[in-house]
Amino acid sequence: MPIQFILVILIILAVLRLLYQLKNKNIGFNQFFTWLVIWLVAIVIISQPKITTYLATIVGIGRGVDLAIYVSIIVIFYLMFRLLLRIEKIEKDITKIVRTDSLKKNNDHENKH
Amino acid sequence: MKTLVLIPAYNEDKKIGDVVSDVKSKGIDVLVVDDGSMDQTSSISLKKGAIVLKHKINRGQGAAIATGIEYAKRNHYEVVVFFDADGQMKSEEIRKLIDPVIKNESEVVLGSRFLGLAKNIPISKLLVLKLAILFTRLTTGLKLTDTHNGFQAWSMLALDKINLTQDRQAYASELLQEISENNIKYKEVPVTIEYTDYSKQKGQSIFNAINIVFNLLIKK
Repeated sequence: MPIQFILVILIILAVLRLLYQLKNKNIGFNQFFTWLVIWLVAIVIISQPKITTYLATIVGIGRGVDLAIYVSIIVIFYLMFRLLLRIEKIEKDITKIVRTDSLKKNNDHENKH
Repeated sequence: MKTLVLIPAYNEDKKIGDVVSDVKSKGIDVLVVDDGSMDQTSSISLKKGAIVLKHKINRGQGAAIATGIEYAKRNHYEVVVFFDADGQMKSEEIRKLIDPVIKNESEVVLGSRFLGLAKNIPISKLLVLKLAILFTRLTTGLKLTDTHNGFQAWSMLALDKINLTQDRQAYASELLQEISENNIKYKEVPVTIEYTDYSKQKGQSIFNAINIVFNLLIKK
């Protein structure tokens, strides 16, 4: 089906981009490997959708596509949570830098006088 | 006791000069933490005799308070008074807040506008504050008559016990949680908070209350 073809092309582009990020050392090998596995699983599911139907009946969900959507939502929420934590840490680090800078400037100023 | 009045300020050049002069006239050291203002807040405060620390970028009132506390620790202050930059607090009342700390009656003194006077308080603000009192009672067990009142005096011994992690407005609730968790001896004293057109315009939007609750629940 054409939709499968389009999705596989998009995923191949994503994997190429992933390789590029690894090559430029923007991501570590672990991160690269995790994403590669996610995309490869996606390609398998897209090309053989019956797998999801099989898995769906095992876990007690009627349709394969429903299982795929449920799993996707869980993965997206998890990634959002990770992002939120990461942003929070960056915010705290920025505050620390800004604080240290302001205290140091004042110290320098007082030493001058 | 060596006392420092700590004023976090963000774009307050219209009022900060008067506020600093007023507090300085009481013979107390004033520290203005300029939280990334783009106006003349820093230069005016310096001119009026305040010690000034400047955050290069805006990090929030909680972050500014924490910077001021760090300064007070490094410079061996024994009492720190939190004071607003927008002129809605009365400098004559500072003494009332620091006296119980100096006399060792309590480690923290919290100003209460509901024991004292909340002049011209907008009804929406009143409602949110009353809800905040209920929220504080539920989350910390502290039976206060006012919360989110920035007029407070802290002994350095009490400040040494707490850890502020909230950069933005939620720090006010965090302070109360820390009082509760560390069993810090506190008391409330009546204060006057006067809402002017300027302070109402500068103050927090009531919708920010939702943000504060979110931050307290998520970012802890």
